[in-house]
Amino acid sequence: MSALLGLSGYQWLLLLAALQAVLLSADSFIGHYRSGFALRAQYAPFLLGTLLLLSALAAAIAPAASGVARVAVGAGLLAFAAGLIGAGYHHWYGITTKPGGYRWLLHHLLHHAPPLAPLVLATAGGLEALAALGVSGTPLVLGAPIRTLVLGVVSLTLFGMSLSAGLLHYRGAYNNPLMYLPVVLLPLAAAAAGWNALAPASGASRTAATALLWLTFLSGFLGAGMHLRGMDRQMGGLAMGVAAILDAPPPAAPLLVAAVGASGLIAVRLL
Amino acid sequence: MGTSMPEQGDLEGVGSAHSDTPAPQPRWRVAAPLHAILVHFSIALTSASFGFDLAGRLLDRSSLASAGWWSLAAASLLSAGTVASGISSRLRLPIEEGPARSTLRAHMALGPLFFGLLLAACSWRAVLWEHGARVPWGYLIAMGGVLLVVAVQGYLGGELVYRYGAAVQGRFRALPIEHPGAPPARVSPAPTKPA
Repeated sequence: MSALLGLSGYQWLLLLAALQAVLLSADSFIGHYRSGFALRAQYAPFLLGTLLLLSALAAAIAPAASGVARVAVGAGLLAFAAGLIGAGYHHWYGITTKPGGYRWLLHHLLHHAPPLAPLVLATAGGLEALAALGVSGTPLVLGAPIRTLVLGVVSLTLFGMSLSAGLLHYRGAYNNPLMYLPVVLLPLAAAAAGWNALAPASGASRTAATALLWLTFLSGFLGAGMHLRGMDRQMGGLAMGVAAILDAPPPAAPLLVAAVGASGLIAVRLL
Repeated sequence: MGTSMPEQGDLEGVGSAHSDTPAPQPRWRVAAPLHAILVHFSIALTSASFGFDLAGRLLDRSSLASAGWWSLAAASLLSAGTVASGISSRLRLPIEEGPARSTLRAHMALGPLFFGLLLAACSWRAVLWEHGARVPWGYLIAMGGVLLVVAVQGYLGGELVYRYGAAVQGRFRALPIEHPGAPPARVSPAPTKPA
């Protein structure tokens, strides 16, 4: 395992998990504020996001300190479980209990709780738990190397993000050709990350994963700019503040794509 | 219930960069235009890094290559503030739909992409710096692309300020050269709106 700027690959992964915690808290706040915080469970992403942020930063800064890595593993597993439960909540309250239920599936998918969004919390938690185990010297988890598991999480997440972007960009009527980018690029990057997870010794898989994950990283920033532009296309633009932000594309979502792409790059190059 | 629609008089001047009526100020705000300050660091440090690395490559001087790395590292750190202060500036700029806002939208779309390219270049440069490797031509060509994006972004920002007067207060004491003999005005009069 190699290092960059004095930090090991696991420490970089922990810092990226902390960044993901901030970004997902911002996006879930906007979504849950829009629905009026009707359920107490809607506060969970901020509590867990704060826990993830603090524990990941502590484990990245002082990996050798007693108990710090163990707390980060615990926080990560808690967030992982909460993300899965959140996906169930979104399914139940966003589709099942809505008028029409599954018969109006497309309508509910487009206009109610985004079905896959909570899984980002599971991703951040899973990556933090794996990185914290790695930083504490654990070589294998569930019989597999941590590098393989991290790339597996990245691959699944990118695939899920492409589905989510496909759905939400469909709601936005693909009004800009760049809206096709995540639908095309992310499955390719997911496949390359998965290939490299299964065949780490293959030079071709490493090259493909590196190139496509770099493109994923950059596409996240391109998307962030385009989402900002989308906010400004609302009536009155960003000067309208909350009103413009609530009805606009989610501001942090593309940056989460960039953060997951960066996590994959760390796994490919540094683990 | 409990809400009232704004009167016409309340809305006058909103969206104009040259309003007679000063916009209501929040209780606390940074007086200095942070975005205008930070953006110069982003442009200068990125350009300087490219210049140092190119000169280091041509003259084979390691001190120039070190300067290239540290300039780019500083550019990456400061550019996070540049992007954040840009968004903050936009929130305080009630600008009407039109060519100015189109320019602003392009500027906003390009800003994060520049930041992402800068972070990618900085990661590449960090690996080279750690290994003490010579800067390859491929890196310099890539940095040329980043500089092109910076140039376009800077042009759009310049258009916003100098053509459209975005975020310019327009309160300055004018020289009496237009009307010799007349006492200097206290502040410049607001430009008349085109008919």
